[in-house]
Amino acid sequence: MTQGEPMIRLDELTKRYPGQEAPAVDAVDLDIPEGEIVILVGPSGCGKTTTLEMINRLIEPTSGRIFLQGEDVTHVDADQLRRRMGYVIQQIGLFPHQTIAQNIATVPRMLDWDSTRISNRVDELLDLVGLDPERYRDRFPKEMSGGQRQRVGVARAMAADPPVMLMDEPFGATDPITRERLQNEFLHIQEDIRKTIVFVTHDIDEAIKMGDRIAILQEGSRIAQYDTPENILSDPADEFVEQFLGSGIVLKRLNLTRITDIDVAVAEWPTVAVDTDVDAARRALREADQSHLLLLDGDRRPQRWIGMRDLEHHRELSSAGTAVEATIDQRATLNDALQEMLVSANGVAVVVDRSGAYTGTVDLDTVTAAIREMRTAAVQRDRAQVSSERDPA
Amino acid sequence: MTAITADAPISGTGRRVMRLARYIGVPLFVVAVCTAMYVYVQGQELDSIEGRIINAPNIQGAAVEQIQISLWATLLTLVVAVPLGIALTRPWARRVTPYIIAIANAGQGIPAIGLLFIIYVLWVRNGARATILGMAVYAVLPVLRGTMVGLQQVDAGVVKAARGMGMSKRAVLGRVEMPLAVPILLTGVRTALVLTVATSVLAAFIGGGTFGGFITSGFAQSRPLAVAVGSVGAAALAVMADWIGGIAEDFLRPKGL
Amino acid sequence: MSVADYLARRWDTVLELTIEHLIAVALAIGIATVLGVLLAVLVYRSDRSVALSLVSINVLFTVPALAFFSILVILVGLGWTSAITVLAIYALLPIVRNTITGLREVDPAIVRAATGMGMSRWARLFRVELPLAYPVIMSGIRVSTVLIVGIATIGAYVAGPGLGAELFGGLAALGTARAPAQITVGTGAVVLVALLLDAVLALITRVTTPRGLR
Repeated sequence: MTQGEPMIRLDELTKRYPGQEAPAVDAVDLDIPEGEIVILVGPSGCGKTTTLEMINRLIEPTSGRIFLQGEDVTHVDADQLRRRMGYVIQQIGLFPHQTIAQNIATVPRMLDWDSTRISNRVDELLDLVGLDPERYRDRFPKEMSGGQRQRVGVARAMAADPPVMLMDEPFGATDPITRERLQNEFLHIQEDIRKTIVFVTHDIDEAIKMGDRIAILQEGSRIAQYDTPENILSDPADEFVEQFLGSGIVLKRLNLTRITDIDVAVAEWPTVAVDTDVDAARRALREADQSHLLLLDGDRRPQRWIGMRDLEHHRELSSAGTAVEATIDQRATLNDALQEMLVSANGVAVVVDRSGAYTGTVDLDTVTAAIREMRTAAVQRDRAQVSSERDPA
Repeated sequence: MTAITADAPISGTGRRVMRLARYIGVPLFVVAVCTAMYVYVQGQELDSIEGRIINAPNIQGAAVEQIQISLWATLLTLVVAVPLGIALTRPWARRVTPYIIAIANAGQGIPAIGLLFIIYVLWVRNGARATILGMAVYAVLPVLRGTMVGLQQVDAGVVKAARGMGMSKRAVLGRVEMPLAVPILLTGVRTALVLTVATSVLAAFIGGGTFGGFITSGFAQSRPLAVAVGSVGAAALAVMADWIGGIAEDFLRPKGL
Repeated sequence: MSVADYLARRWDTVLELTIEHLIAVALAIGIATVLGVLLAVLVYRSDRSVALSLVSINVLFTVPALAFFSILVILVGLGWTSAITVLAIYALLPIVRNTITGLREVDPAIVRAATGMGMSRWARLFRVELPLAYPVIMSGIRVSTVLIVGIATIGAYVAGPGLGAELFGGLAALGTARAPAQITVGTGAVVLVALLLDAVLALITRVTTPRGLR
């Protein structure tokens, strides 16, 4: 595949069902760049799932062509084609009569990998999706929770290391808490593996959070706008897109800024390790000129907020103060941080990295500052656009 | 010879084909075979022995006997199995229910002729009566089980709603449970009918006549034609009984179920 | 004569007949399973084929056993072949019906996932659909087995194998002391064979069903 060529190209892809006047998918032209997550989002019945299922030819197109890595795959053997793509669906579809390891090994077995390679790959993938291989390798799907099963589904799709993954509402069947966790973890994984992903969802917030590029689809899978989330939010193409984005566009844009993108206040709250004695802690707090200390454990994980008054009453740091409730992953968005802040006792969300270690805090001031910055940048952009329209120099 | 297994889930077109095949295909097939047999026999020169066995009055007599025995046995079965089934699914019988169902399941293994012969030899020395009794006993277990399972399947929520609305226990039984269980009951009736018609043939062994008589005489006198006529006759009656049962099942089913 | 006396005198014959019975049933079930599953696999995807197959087999199923045995004997002759053919035909219906139901009731999401992963139709059938339908199929086999244990007794009338011989023998000896005992022993043995086979199949099903499906 030559440099700059899209990983997947849909060329006038159409699906017409007999007996129906309007095509379900109407001559879609779409380029999906390598290594990016492209979201197909739109209202119910717009044809997004149909389009997705034509990429791996679960549904055969009526006309048009599909290109994978520059190769025209519209008419190649479908089974062989599908083994080159990972496929994750909402109901997951794990094989209940096989163990987790056997499930994950499905495509490698079809590709005739040798058993050692398969076994290593299974362990590697279980690790990647956050499941301890020792514990889960020989379990059966019915013995696992919904969230765990979803992870296995993702692992299974990645087993043969396909360059492309097709995902159809993969996190849809879980509760909001689990869903958020799965989304964050998936984004972490994507950072490492950088696969080309086509992702279908009906949830615009999920689209904004997960997508490098979003295709907003109308009936017949017609593309209303295909662009990065930032551009769509700051510049909706038409009324349909605006309506689809819904109210609270500004807040939605908070979904785009990740905590790692802004300057997280690291030095503001003083931290102490768990084995510090109380007097040393008191001294540190007085010197830092702050209301509270943050207690970290041996792995630098935040445990408790401790105020001056708590230090006067307790001899042991580990029981002083209040437990830290609001922690947030650093890959999470400002929107997530805002929600955590509302829950916490002192309006501060503690930011942790992938292993749970403390990296900083976010509070309401941080978020407000971020919003102000966005507004300023938007106004400047509008002004620049108006002046360039006035005199196209 | 019972329809014991689950119904295969079939969609619209399949159902239509099935219905067509059943309502029209089956009787056509039976008529075709019987006609063929008839034509063949007419064309043959029957020797004296065959002539004594195969003749119109005998055929008529056999058919009538078979139908009579079957109807009596079916009646007997229903009179025993249905009330018993209702009784055993009431709350006060709940503890006994699993045992009864287990016995009913185990009873599937009793061979029909074994039952027949025992009743005949040890009890009722009349061929026809022993057959009726034997067939009834044989059919009671499957119909009993069908009735019980059917009533148990009636959605507990529906019953609760009915009681909650103030219906008496008897009203619930009569106005809610029974109507909902009708499909299962109908299957049970059809099962009983088919079972009894099919096994009534065995009456021949104990002198009860029916088409089985053609078969036994035919074998005894080495006349294959008689055996063939008897077999076709018995089979035709059984298949038609099942056909009628099927139609009844479909049309007597309350709408909405 | 009491049952005990009868058994004491003729236990070897009874045993021999019991074994014959078991073998005949086993053969018939084996044949019916192979043919039945094969048929089901060929037709389960098409509604029309399913409907036609089921109606046809049902007609065969409804024919009284004595009639069926007799017809086959006229065509093929007395003995084991006719008997086992008839038994296999009777055993077909529950097996075919259950296999079709089992295959059709596999969760569509699982089938979709398997197709989406690139499994060919046959791979899907053998690695996913059949294993998942296995419990239902075994249930059909169990029903068939118990069924034909009973039907096999009638086969003895046309020189077929099994304990039916005791029943007919007892009937023929009507009036003698041993008749009631013989018939009772015959019937009892058949019931025991049915219960035994059912229990064995239940055990096999339990042991061979993957833990994930129980």
